[in-house]
Amino acid sequence: MAATGTGPSAREIFATLEYGPAPESHACALAWLDTQDRHLGHYVNGMWLKPEHRNSVPCQDPITGENLASCLQAQAEDVAAAMEAARTAFDSWSRLPGASRAQHLTRLAKVIQKHQRLLWTLESLVTGRAVRDVRDGDVQLAQQLLHYHAVQAHAQEEALAGWEPMGVIGLILPPTFCFLEMMWRICPALAVGCTVVALVPPASPTPLLLAQLAGELGQFPGILNVISGPASLGPVLASQPGIQKVAFCGAVEGGLRLLIQESVWKETMRRLQARMRQLRSGRGLDGAVDMGARGAAACDLAQHYVREAQSQGAQVFQAGDVYPDSPFYPPTLVSDLPPASPCAQAEVPWPVVVASPFRTAKEALALANGTPRGGNASVWSERLGQALELGYGLQVGTVWINSHGLRDPAVPTGGCKESGSSWHGGPDGLYEYLRPSGTPARLSYLSRNLNYDTFGLVVPSTLPAGHELGPSLPLPYGLFVGGRFQAPGARSSRPIQDSFGNLHGYVAEGGAKDIRGAVEAAHQAASGWVGQSPGARTTLLWALAAALERRKSTLVSRLERQGVELETAKAEVELSVRRLRAWGAQAQAQAQGQTLQVAGLRGPVLRLREPLGVLAIVCPDEWPLLAFVSLLAPALAYGNTVVMVPSGTCPLLALDVCQDMATLFPAGLVNVVTGDQDHLTRCLALHQDIQALWYFGSAQGSQFVEWASAGNLKPVWVNRGCPQAWDQETSGASPELGLRAARTKALWLPMGD
Amino acid sequence: VRSEVRGAALDLSWISKVQVNHPAVLRRAEQIQARRTVKKEWQAAWLLKAVTFIDLTTLSGDDTSSNVQRLCYKAKHPIREDLLKALNMHDKGITTAAVCVYPARVCDAVRALKAAGCDIPVASVATGFPAGQTHLKTRLEEIRLAVEDGAAEIDVVINRSLVLTGQWEALYDEIRQFRKACGEAHLKTILATGELGSLTNVYKASMIAMMAGSDFIKTSTGKETVNATFPVAIVMLRAIRDFFWKTGNKVGFKPAGGIRTAKDSLAWLSLVKEELGDEWLKPELFRIGASTLLSDIERQIYHHVTGRYAAYHDLPMS
Repeated sequence: MAATGTGPSAREIFATLEYGPAPESHACALAWLDTQDRHLGHYVNGMWLKPEHRNSVPCQDPITGENLASCLQAQAEDVAAAMEAARTAFDSWSRLPGASRAQHLTRLAKVIQKHQRLLWTLESLVTGRAVRDVRDGDVQLAQQLLHYHAVQAHAQEEALAGWEPMGVIGLILPPTFCFLEMMWRICPALAVGCTVVALVPPASPTPLLLAQLAGELGQFPGILNVISGPASLGPVLASQPGIQKVAFCGAVEGGLRLLIQESVWKETMRRLQARMRQLRSGRGLDGAVDMGARGAAACDLAQHYVREAQSQGAQVFQAGDVYPDSPFYPPTLVSDLPPASPCAQAEVPWPVVVASPFRTAKEALALANGTPRGGNASVWSERLGQALELGYGLQVGTVWINSHGLRDPAVPTGGCKESGSSWHGGPDGLYEYLRPSGTPARLSYLSRNLNYDTFGLVVPSTLPAGHELGPSLPLPYGLFVGGRFQAPGARSSRPIQDSFGNLHGYVAEGGAKDIRGAVEAAHQAASGWVGQSPGARTTLLWALAAALERRKSTLVSRLERQGVELETAKAEVELSVRRLRAWGAQAQAQAQGQTLQVAGLRGPVLRLREPLGVLAIVCPDEWPLLAFVSLLAPALAYGNTVVMVPSGTCPLLALDVCQDMATLFPAGLVNVVTGDQDHLTRCLALHQDIQALWYFGSAQGSQFVEWASAGNLKPVWVNRGCPQAWDQETSGASPELGLRAARTKALWLPMGD
Repeated sequence: VRSEVRGAALDLSWISKVQVNHPAVLRRAEQIQARRTVKKEWQAAWLLKAVTFIDLTTLSGDDTSSNVQRLCYKAKHPIREDLLKALNMHDKGITTAAVCVYPARVCDAVRALKAAGCDIPVASVATGFPAGQTHLKTRLEEIRLAVEDGAAEIDVVINRSLVLTGQWEALYDEIRQFRKACGEAHLKTILATGELGSLTNVYKASMIAMMAGSDFIKTSTGKETVNATFPVAIVMLRAIRDFFWKTGNKVGFKPAGGIRTAKDSLAWLSLVKEELGDEWLKPELFRIGASTLLSDIERQIYHHVTGRYAAYHDLPMS
């Protein structure tokens, strides 16, 4: 109807042609909150859980500050209740045929479709994000995720034979997040048969709504349980008995860094500023808004960063004014920031963009890779050759060529370096919640006796250990670093005994400096090895296999002296040779990943499998030759360079192999450091420039490795003290080795002229 | 009446390095449509504004003086008087921006508009519309005759073959000659973007047309298989902005073909507002070529004023 309200008349607007408010009705979101009397609890086992005597926090509209609801804060026993529900549900859910799980997920997708308005208005109301983004982006993608993973569940028995669901998964979400981040994690988990307990920060109703929609499907109410509570409950969730994995999730996208070639710097900045001036910010529930608000904390963060940058000499352009006490912060472009200033190193907050110039593509690559972050990046260039070179060279999980922010359930997204090493979507996302069938379950409790400060700190002194007895085969001595045997930095040795307790020989006592040298040597060899064709890698692994065959008699007698039966010793050597050949062939067969076709995108997405970089491997005591080779072969096949700590009780066989590697392999490709295992493990775990660490030793060592590696979030793989049957194909040549030996990168290549 | 000198000397460096990024343009086109909307009073005001941008067009083989006359009357009275009164807009003199016809109907249109006592300009298509596949000599003559008959604006089509074979100098020279033949009349250059092969070509043709002195660049004839689309428009608008940044001259933009609904027209207004700014939102710099759009806008206005959806017979036909 005409002429309602007190706003400007059509006559006035006719002159100015301004935009007006375009509010999206959020009556249904409020009505849903009313069904809970504006009092939200947790959603556990298909029911609302509202225990008494709990603190509650208000859920506020980030723009008006209006109280929308109060949310209960969970305590440890609520977490335990959710855990119990998930565990019970797991028994039936994981035993279902994949097809039935697929059906259930499809039903959930349909329920979301039916109630999508409720979902998008609630999300926008509570988070302040632009409603059209949520409506057209997130809600659609949430349904696609369910459909995609339903298909994966349907094909699970065939496609994922030999793998089983891990069990109950804990999911911890950060203070600001988008419900989609939760969907990326729960969909694959549920699809493969896991059940989930999600700990969401207080005052986030959307996950609760999702849990309710899932719970009201009737069957299997306990597969998705959502409890809201403070971050301090994280350790409580992680230490619940039976929890098999805890997944974390990053906060919503922050600010951006932009690298612009000097030759187009001026033009680009001018265009950027012109475009920024057109951005509209406002209430998220307005249909004509580009940027919503993220609350006072986000504004303060941005304001603080911009002030700092200014004081450090940066130029600041803001498309709009900064008002005190306003929930909106204008889009901001920071330039001319001195490269060494603290702001240039710090994380850029939303909605700030930091632009810096570069001269050549090579320099751009160095700048982009020179940060601890490795989530995603986009490359804008009209020259395909250059764009691809950058795309392959960037150390990130996702690269978009001439596009940004595209996502699809079939394309794995993840990261490297500090952006984490887990994957969502695509086949990679499924393996996050699977383990090879028969793997022992994770014990949830951690040893409280382990002293992180002293574990492996001191090496017990070793002294000469008497006469060397028995048949004396020539024994190499030294640390195998940079292609040759070197004396250890400590200039001391440790005795190795044979099965009769007699001295078998001495090996070098490696230490921190030797590890440092080995990692350096491995880094130097890395670029050459990555550049080798898969065929060349195959050739080299096969050459090592042949050399091992020639050395068979030495190896067998060495094993015999360690108390291995002759036949078993022969089998171990033969099997080692076979493993080298098999992974050598794999190096060629696994090729370079695959091409994905994605809905709505013209052009392919490449799923690349890239080497991790320098991979450190601590070998188990058992199977001193076979385990060493079984771990080494996949690492090399996928293009990594390696620092290895061989079996602690019998490192001699590994050193025999080193003699062949010294003549066959490029220097630094494989480095073997002997010594005290705990000490070397400590050195490796605390080294920041190792890209991944595999540890097969004690339970305590495993715990230490996981703790220490958090320093640079490198991917770790530990055995928690459980010995493996390395002679069995299922563990000694498990596909898990191949999965863990490389990382995935998604390269988006939209096309069109 | 044109006073300032339009165009610029031919400078091929303005187009030689340009590469339009197709996926990015598609993305931007999607975004603008999804993220801009106007409602209620704003919608009514914007729709009335859209009316003032319309080149009300009839380009059919069976056009005669009677339907041209009816069209002219509709151009003068695009929205029912009582609806305008309800919005307090009856004294704003809202008419369409121009009437657009074939050269042979220019006389009819001029006569009808004179009879209605208004100064809405008559635009004539010319230069072998719509294909442009006639001799240059007759194409130039066609312009002169239309101007003689009283057309104040000439919508010329460019020679697509010159674009597809990259003969930019020749294209520049041709449009220069069109410009000269127009005399005082406005020159609107139709790029027929559906037949140019790529967005990069659209950009280059836009730039050449502007350098050669066009007052407007126009997307299409309405007779190609692909007409005014958002991605093409974004490329043309960026070219207009680049030309303005380089020369200080503002060139107008006219999408035509396939714009039929009121909702479409709103999207086009916000596209221009986003890409070029408010200064381009006036009939001197923005037109919409359309024939059936006006009746849908009138229906929407009717609904805004009365709260009811109009029946077919509630609104006068054009």
